[in-house]
Amino acid sequence: MTRSGAQARFGSTELSDGQARTLGRAVRLERITIGTLLVTVTVVALVAGQSQAMKVAWIEDSLSLLPPVAFLVAARIAGRRPTPSHPYGYHRSVGVGHLVAAVALLAMGTFLVVDSGSGLITGERPPIGVTSLFGVPVWSGWLMVAAMGLTSIPPVVLGRMKMKLAEELHDKVLYADADMNKADWMTGLATVAGVLGIGAGLWWADAAAALLVSTSILRDGVANLKGAVAGLADARPTTYDDAGPHPLVQQVETVLRQQPWVRDAAVRMRDEGHVFHVEGFVVPVAGTTPTLEQLAAARKRCADLDWKIEDVVLAPVAELPEHQVPR
Amino acid sequence: MGLRGGRWAAGALAVVLLAGCGSGFPRDPEGTLERVRGGELRAGVVESPPWTEVPDSGRPSGIEVDLVEDFARRLDAEVVWVPGSESHLIRSLESGELDVVAAGLTETAPWEKHAALTRPHTEIATPDGRTEKMVLATRLGENGFLTELETFLVEREERS
Repeated sequence: MTRSGAQARFGSTELSDGQARTLGRAVRLERITIGTLLVTVTVVALVAGQSQAMKVAWIEDSLSLLPPVAFLVAARIAGRRPTPSHPYGYHRSVGVGHLVAAVALLAMGTFLVVDSGSGLITGERPPIGVTSLFGVPVWSGWLMVAAMGLTSIPPVVLGRMKMKLAEELHDKVLYADADMNKADWMTGLATVAGVLGIGAGLWWADAAAALLVSTSILRDGVANLKGAVAGLADARPTTYDDAGPHPLVQQVETVLRQQPWVRDAAVRMRDEGHVFHVEGFVVPVAGTTPTLEQLAAARKRCADLDWKIEDVVLAPVAELPEHQVPR
Repeated sequence: MGLRGGRWAAGALAVVLLAGCGSGFPRDPEGTLERVRGGELRAGVVESPPWTEVPDSGRPSGIEVDLVEDFARRLDAEVVWVPGSESHLIRSLESGELDVVAAGLTETAPWEKHAALTRPHTEIATPDGRTEKMVLATRLGENGFLTELETFLVEREERS
């Protein structure tokens, strides 16, 4: 995937040079993430042994591959222009990718909570013995601790870098991925505590740590599923981190109301993934009919607000249709 | 995982580190190693020549028997041999009546839910060309004891 400034786009939305660079950086970071994860998964598998916490950490690391892959696929597909068979473009690929990743997290989280919980209840006692490192006997627990310590660092750094880009690109898959990465150090710490717990003769520490980590996977799954479903079900657009309604909804309405020929206006907007589709209903001042030029100018004012807004449909109406723009 | 999770994990880590500052590391939940050192090593044995041979009277012999006796000397312990069938002895291991079982077990023995199998002490080639890795079984979770035994096995590998 090569992206020069002039070609980078989300559907029919041309990206500015700055955004194209951001997208390029995000793609690069996600590739680095995948590379790091593959190394992590290999290292953790080599030292995992019979610790439940290590097993859970390994599965979490493998699952962390999903969001970056979903992002790369979605970013590529979302770049296609709209066609007669896909008149809204391919932006929804972001939502689909998000949903797939969320379901995987949720299913695996549930499985791991049950698996670790039953280990705790039945009192499973993981054996951790000795590994021969070039003929020197070393307690395998130390290798696990070292592996978890080392592999917890890169995702945290990458997560922080990706978080900034997610806001700029309004990309929720990227956000979900960055958020999971940022929390990775806690997974690492819990796993280390579990392994050291076994070493201290506290057999339950491992299963307890595993339970803690799998609960966090489950919670990630629930949060992401909510977000993904809301997006696909045409909920009102929210900010990239789902913290609140997106300010653009209000801003577009204000811009329309400020037109001298407009008496009242209301919009409904949906988040297609990266970009928003806007339908604006405008009530002209009594006794006037807006000209095509006036309508075109109003549309341009809306589109100028933000790069995410380009697909704007305006409908002049006698009064605001309650069923289309519920208050 | 929220920030609360992080604080929990950090707290658990602190508790674990404090608990670990007692005697050796790793430690046995049931204190097997401490009990065996200078005392008795209770070993189950199943007839499986050449690894183990159990005469009707007198002490057992065989490669694994010698191995366990060597290990006991390292711990200044006296071996008490308990002959029996494999599944019976593994159950005794599980309930803590035995510390180790020598039965000519291979690495693929189906006991991993009931016993901690050690690293291989010997590798042999079977007639059909596969490699069999011979192991001993210890009580699950007694990681101090397992580590001591496996350290002994690694050092023995290095000597030979």
